[in-house]
Amino acid sequence: MNARVSLSVSDLQGWYGESKALHGMTFEVGAGEVVTLLGRNGAGKTTTLRAIMGLLRKKTGEIRFDGEDVAGRMPEYIARRGIAYCPEERGIFASLTVEENLFLPPVIAEGGMAVDDIYALFPNIAERRNSQGTKLSGGEQQMLAIARILRTGANLLLLDEPTEGLAPVIVQQIGAVIRKLKERGFTVVLVEQNFRFASKLADRHYVVEHGRVIDTLAAADVAGNRDRIQNYLKV
Amino acid sequence: MMTLLGISPQLLFGQLLIGLINGVFYAMMSLGVAIIFGMLRIGNFVHGAQYMLGAFGAWYLLHLPDLFPGFGLPSLGYWWALALVPVAVGLIGALMERVFIRRVYELEHAYGLLLTVGLAMVIEGLFNVGYGAAGQRYDIPAALRGGVNLGFMFLPYYRLWVIVAGLFVCVATWYIVERTKLGAYLRAATENPNLVRAFGINVPRMLMLTYAFGVGLAGLAGVMAAPIYQVSPQMGQSIIITIFAVVVIGGMGSISGAIFTGLMLGMIEGLTKVFWPQASTTVIFVIMVLVLVFRPAGLFGKETASAHAADMSTARPNSFLENGRLWLPILSVVGMVLPFLIYPVFGMKILCFALFACAYNLIFGYVGLLAFGHAAFFGSSAYVAAFTAASWGFPTELAILSGMVVATLIGAVFGWLAIRRQGLYFAMITLALAQLVYFYAIQAPWTHGEDGIQSVPRGYLFGFIDLDDTMNMYYFVLAIFLIGFAAIYRIGRSPFGQILKSIRENEPRAISLGYSTDRFKLLAFTLSAMFAGLAGATKAIVFQIASLADLYFTTSADALLMTLIGGVGTLLGPIVGAIVVVTMQKEFATLGAWVVVVQGAAFVLCVLFLRKGVIGTLEDWMATRSESKRIAAGYATGLAAKAVE
Amino acid sequence: MTIAADNIIEVRGLTKRFHGFAAISNVDLDVRRQSIHALIGPNGAGKTTFFNLITKVHQPSGGSIRFNGEDITNEDPARVARRGIVRSFQISAIFPRMTVAENVRIALQRPKGTSFHFWRSESSLSVLEDRVDELLAAVGLEHMRDQTAAGLPYGRKRALEFATTLAVEPELLLLDEPTSGLGTEDVERIAALIRSVSANRTILMVEHNLSIVARLADKITVLARGKILAEGTYAEVSTDPRVIEAYIGGEE
Repeated sequence: MNARVSLSVSDLQGWYGESKALHGMTFEVGAGEVVTLLGRNGAGKTTTLRAIMGLLRKKTGEIRFDGEDVAGRMPEYIARRGIAYCPEERGIFASLTVEENLFLPPVIAEGGMAVDDIYALFPNIAERRNSQGTKLSGGEQQMLAIARILRTGANLLLLDEPTEGLAPVIVQQIGAVIRKLKERGFTVVLVEQNFRFASKLADRHYVVEHGRVIDTLAAADVAGNRDRIQNYLKV
Repeated sequence: MMTLLGISPQLLFGQLLIGLINGVFYAMMSLGVAIIFGMLRIGNFVHGAQYMLGAFGAWYLLHLPDLFPGFGLPSLGYWWALALVPVAVGLIGALMERVFIRRVYELEHAYGLLLTVGLAMVIEGLFNVGYGAAGQRYDIPAALRGGVNLGFMFLPYYRLWVIVAGLFVCVATWYIVERTKLGAYLRAATENPNLVRAFGINVPRMLMLTYAFGVGLAGLAGVMAAPIYQVSPQMGQSIIITIFAVVVIGGMGSISGAIFTGLMLGMIEGLTKVFWPQASTTVIFVIMVLVLVFRPAGLFGKETASAHAADMSTARPNSFLENGRLWLPILSVVGMVLPFLIYPVFGMKILCFALFACAYNLIFGYVGLLAFGHAAFFGSSAYVAAFTAASWGFPTELAILSGMVVATLIGAVFGWLAIRRQGLYFAMITLALAQLVYFYAIQAPWTHGEDGIQSVPRGYLFGFIDLDDTMNMYYFVLAIFLIGFAAIYRIGRSPFGQILKSIRENEPRAISLGYSTDRFKLLAFTLSAMFAGLAGATKAIVFQIASLADLYFTTSADALLMTLIGGVGTLLGPIVGAIVVVTMQKEFATLGAWVVVVQGAAFVLCVLFLRKGVIGTLEDWMATRSESKRIAAGYATGLAAKAVE
Repeated sequence: MTIAADNIIEVRGLTKRFHGFAAISNVDLDVRRQSIHALIGPNGAGKTTFFNLITKVHQPSGGSIRFNGEDITNEDPARVARRGIVRSFQISAIFPRMTVAENVRIALQRPKGTSFHFWRSESSLSVLEDRVDELLAAVGLEHMRDQTAAGLPYGRKRALEFATTLAVEPELLLLDEPTSGLGTEDVERIAALIRSVSANRTILMVEHNLSIVARLADKITVLARGKILAEGTYAEVSTDPRVIEAYIGGEE
């Protein structure tokens, strides 16, 4: 693991109204790492990301980002500290064009990707920059949702199931993108159900069930533990 | 001279021009209301007052030397006003957002509307105190005096300027919202504010700026309107209801839709003035009705779901304050003694308004729909009762019954129309429909316009009890009130009332259990209208007059205020509220115009600090007290048990 | 050729598009009468959308839904509920400020035909009390009947919702994640309840808790990306390579 810790979550408890969704999530992400939260539907992965982002208000525990506890902060503060979020439902705005969607998140620090680099990474988006955001296909919308958080200079990316509901070809493309992001030094927390996809990308996997981490696997351990992982995830 | 369908082109084009100018103002105003509504989910009723502030701002600047003599201030003319006033009004708007409106975002939408109604009453009331009903003249700036003769008509330069400048502002607003980065933030935050926050954008600040911008537009419209209409405290009151109708017609689909709808309706209004002058004040409201029937989502709107009820009730069902079997006898006794303690006429006024508030509570408290047009039922019933008693010689009880029947029918129609639309729209639609009735009453010959129907005979009850005798009249009114109160209580506790309760608490669930909730809401609305009609007709007989005030939106606001002060959804709240409001109106009557300010302030304070109302708060307090007593008692026995061990 | 009498619901070519995105596309599904049928699939597969289509909360973009042989594609939600298709919600759907008993009574009231009777006394509903008590006893809430529903623990709220749903005597019960957000003990209680009410009734459920599905369901349909991926018993479905791929990810 890298020397510097980017994000550390400890004993996070969270609620949706009365329904408790997080029961003591604890995990750590080093700077420049790609880490996945794996688990079945309803395990609490999305809730964890929403909690980190400040979108889940009812919570206790600690969320440290670059050493600062941001658990009590508002989403806009957390975003400005350098965390960017790509939600599961993608959140493409119907009333905005593709280009407006892309340029919506404000630049919060230097070091974000240049627009030309982004267009090079996502040629489809460049082609369709003047269409309405939600007229894109599911895969293109996902690309756009990732693309728009790369410009801002945020260093930690929270990606919520970027492969969900997408065809295999698109899944491969998204895998390639995440690999490039890692090369560029982004830190990534990836929420996934698709383990085969995640296993090729991540440095470490946290298996989540019932709102807590029940197992941790380093990338190197994956090959020897396929069955164990399948048991966590399969039907 | 050439004529078109017997109408001279001067008249035709003249009215079209006036219509176009009105349309420009409608467009600018509804643009602001629509942007604020989209982003803040607030039905900005105070928009009219803010428009009025703009006009007065211009007038103040012109009269600086007179207002502050001795400071050597210059008189700032129109062009200064055009630049300074919208900014100033916008700043006032920002302040209002910061101090008041921000506090209700997390609450039911109804509170936002109530709050802005209160603010409008305070602002307009204050100006009314200062300037009365008389308008102030504001001259057309020197550079724009005169005009050009186009041959078929004379076109004053100032009017041309208003059209050009107004359209420019509309198009510029459209450009800002639809084509700039700032507008992209606005559109995105309207769709999904949380995600926009998660991108690091300070959405709360955006909300404030959006509000300030919308309000600034109203201020600008006010400045531009100053030389055309007189600068008067009432100028905003009448336009805001029309603007709400425009917004309902246009829907919330698009900015360009709002602009187009505003302009179009102004022109239609102008044309109506040429061909059918009597209908010109009501045409917009009639169009609204047609749009609701044939295109419920509005011309450019998208949503069509019907109104979902919101639980605003503050009642605790188990409290003894909610037990009607206990309170009906108590109220009867108190009512019988009352005329020996206070003036019977004052007592009758309280009874009439208490019944009105109870009727209103049936739809607002029991069902959770923010109706804002109950003046239509109260007033129309008052007029019908007064007319049938005075002109047709109906016996008193039949006159009251006729009033009730008419109110019930109007209620059924209005309810059927309004239930088609969601949330705040319900309030806007009922308000606009009530205004339709108000304008009708101004025009119709049988209502005698500003005079109303006066000297209504009280008559003889059952043909032999002389109601001119104050005590007889009082006990008749008391009987009506008690019957109404008991009936409304029964409705709340009936099998039907149970379903209403379930709709209020969880409408989707009620639907999933097989209840067609719209039908229940419609019946409740109609019943509410019926009892409001009973109150109105009785009031007309007691005070022997039916007047325009009974139909004006302030009467609807009174019903709301009484219910809110007393406690929404509680059994006794409307009565307490009626006592408070009627007493307040009497006590402050000597202060004249201040009454409205005090009432507006009461609205604002209730929304901010007393949302549960007097009775709701009392019930809460009693429940907590008995709870803590219970816990204390349990604790004591626990200790005792330990001591024994 | 299908025999209508065997299937309580028959869905053909059902499609729902939002903003051009097909959440459900061309789904054919039959639910056999008096079976427990589970609908599973990864997030975003369209399960809840499918429920909303059957209960007519959403209007389908295409296809047809037949219930007991009758076409219900264009009916409104309340009408569909009156036919006997009643659903539970993901977030417990109760009437919070009514008592537990009143919650159930609301559901029992409709067949009485007096729901519009605003002149009658509430006591006219007291004939329903016995049935209320029976239903509350069935879900273990009889000792809480006079409490306000809002004050119940979460698991009990779900039980109350269940009792309310049963009160309408639905022919087809749609359960949307009946065990989500519950502790182990409550999950077992609900599972037992589902089992006990399944007699003489058809149940279609969306559920994430696969051990529940494995134990209860007669048949499982796996949805992915708005389409049906596989259908069969738990043993068949859980070993189907396409299903494993959908859940765990495909080989490249």
